[in-house]
Amino acid sequence: MHKFKGKNINYILFLLILLGGIVILSASLGAVSIPITTTLKIIVSKVFGLKLTLDENILSIYETILFKVRFARVVLAVLVGIALSVAGVVYQGIFKNPMADPYIIGVSSGAALGATLAAIVFKGFGVLGFSLVPVLAFVGATITIFFVYNLARTGTKVPVATLLLAGVAIGALLHAITSFVMVLGGKDLHFIIFWLMGGFSSKNWDHVMVVLPFLAVGLPLVFYFSRDLNLLLLGEERAQQLGIEAEKIKKILIIVASLLAASAVAVSGIVGFVGLIVPHMVRLVTGPDHKILIPCSALFGASFVVFSDLLARTLMAPTEIPLGVITALFGAPFFIYLLKRSKRGLF
Amino acid sequence: MLELRNVRCGYGNGEEILKSISLSVDKGEFVGIVGPNGCGKSTLVKAASGVLKSEGEIFIEDVNLKVLSTIQVAKKLAVVPQGFHTEFSFTVYEIISMGRTPYLGRFRAETSEDFFAIERAMKATDTFYLANRKINELSGGEKQRVIIAQAIAQEPKILILDEPTSHLDINYQLEIMELVKKLNIEGLIVIVVIHDLNLAAVYCERLVILKDGMILDDGPIDEVLTTENISKAFGVDVLVHRNPLTGKRYVTSIPRTSMSNNTNGAKVHLVCGSGTGVQIMHDLKERGCRVSAGVLNILDTDEDVAKKIGVEVVVEAPFSSISDEAFKSNLEMINQVDFVILTSIPIGEGNFKNLLAVERAIKMGKKVIILEEMPIVERDYAGGKALKLIERLYQQGAIRAKSSKDIFKMIGE
Repeated sequence: MHKFKGKNINYILFLLILLGGIVILSASLGAVSIPITTTLKIIVSKVFGLKLTLDENILSIYETILFKVRFARVVLAVLVGIALSVAGVVYQGIFKNPMADPYIIGVSSGAALGATLAAIVFKGFGVLGFSLVPVLAFVGATITIFFVYNLARTGTKVPVATLLLAGVAIGALLHAITSFVMVLGGKDLHFIIFWLMGGFSSKNWDHVMVVLPFLAVGLPLVFYFSRDLNLLLLGEERAQQLGIEAEKIKKILIIVASLLAASAVAVSGIVGFVGLIVPHMVRLVTGPDHKILIPCSALFGASFVVFSDLLARTLMAPTEIPLGVITALFGAPFFIYLLKRSKRGLF
Repeated sequence: MLELRNVRCGYGNGEEILKSISLSVDKGEFVGIVGPNGCGKSTLVKAASGVLKSEGEIFIEDVNLKVLSTIQVAKKLAVVPQGFHTEFSFTVYEIISMGRTPYLGRFRAETSEDFFAIERAMKATDTFYLANRKINELSGGEKQRVIIAQAIAQEPKILILDEPTSHLDINYQLEIMELVKKLNIEGLIVIVVIHDLNLAAVYCERLVILKDGMILDDGPIDEVLTTENISKAFGVDVLVHRNPLTGKRYVTSIPRTSMSNNTNGAKVHLVCGSGTGVQIMHDLKERGCRVSAGVLNILDTDEDVAKKIGVEVVVEAPFSSISDEAFKSNLEMINQVDFVILTSIPIGEGNFKNLLAVERAIKMGKKVIILEEMPIVERDYAGGKALKLIERLYQQGAIRAKSSKDIFKMIGE
């Protein structure tokens, strides 16, 4: 047992270092590239309040680039990566289904409709200085979850199969409405198409503040229920026989994971495949125990999204490739590989 | 102890699966629950463990299930589910340690007490050597032992097993039942839902038969495991014997043969013995014949079965030669039938009179069929006398049949 604990700490340390490296790399590279050592020095000096022996002018330029632009974007990518991966872990656990991802019960289609309405119908409106796009995307996502959840509910229970089907059905309906609104959109179409493909261009600290509260509440909650998630993998009935209030905890987890996904979608658009493949890849190494799967998926998901975003904005600079395109280019072949590799089971 | 009072429940579609079940199981008992598919056995397991809401009252150690939390129930009552399956590659150790869930606080890691409980469960089920294997890579028997270990790790007072042997070969079936028996002797109340009546007969002290969501019978296995009860519950004809080796009851089914041959209610007399007549006796009865048999020694297999399925028999005392008296009664019985069938019975001095009876039957003008599944040379223990007599029977018009199918055809015509 103790041997396992040690191994788990090693996984987390490795993933922390990986994330740190990718974050610094990503913050350094861009239209104006900053030497990696300089980035490191600036971070260290900020944290410890040290004076640096750099040219004041260059330093202030670098600091502006790093803190006003790059870090906001990188931190947002970290948060979105965590939110999507953890939501993916939870959904795959609850659904006991390898195809489950954060968008499985209609979060993305709800968000897409919300964003499309904001961009085309309510163009020019705003709330507290925000564009309506993330606001309506979030509202659309949460309303969809609410609908799907209640559609699937039979009495006091929420059977996962019904939930899945309700998600697909409502998703199809919303997709149709979104397409219809887009037809009316005319010249605003360009924006919405890019939004649907996901990305972090022109995102700032305000967006970070949108996701942060959800993660601050959601992540500890999911972690709190990590043992219960393990037991839910054996089936709800078995979980209950082993002393878990399966139905209640399942409901809490569905809501928490959906809100995590909704907040991520609101600020990043629809970034596909992250929540699907990250938990898979991590599970291959750590095994299915959620006590280690959740933190590792969060860290690896964050690294994955930050790295994908780095590629998105540097591969064809100055043109930015939508983030969703990059994650799908990574994700789809990997997923096919997983399918071919083991037809018997993906867990 | 576990007590159910007027428990009724269903799956919310208005249909009641359990209709007023009352059952009380005391400390130290080993109770088997049997019944046809769909009679509510698994539903009973779900209701008793609180997974399925039910009306009526359930008491676990005198406390009403309704006031117990999920965790409290899990500490007292463990279930070994039917056909456990998971896609996730948990190790055996991880799976077994999940049995400690009701004892763990949310952020409290396992204490030495928990580790001891896990260790005890692994020892009892002989799963130590599997500890680091993946659960989804185990064989059926191994997996079943692991799940039982998980239940034992809960340290329950009551263990309910839902068809623990149904997917296992005979070796694992015995292994699992032996394990459960051992746990029972160590003080656990065991309730096992089981399909195999003979396994139930060997291991359970008490049997509950369920039928259509109600208890058909409940009591000591010797009183409950009867031909009538099984026929009522399952709608099949069986024979209930006593296993000479273990003294336990055992059940054999009587196959339902196709009724393709119509025998027009023919009257048939069997000259048989030593089990050579069991099958044909049953088959003829199934086809609507009036069957009699004789002379048979009491305690002979054929005699035993004949009595059980209602065939009239002329008997002789055990291990005795056929007396003149029995020979005469046999002739009287033969006189009333249309057909006389001689099975492939070994012939010695003791039953030679039966051959003579067959010869007399031909003289009476009865149709005589000789079933020669085994050549008479190999079963003549009367020093050639039997061989000679049988040849004479053929000369006098007895018909040779190679199989019982031939006989049904002949009788049908």
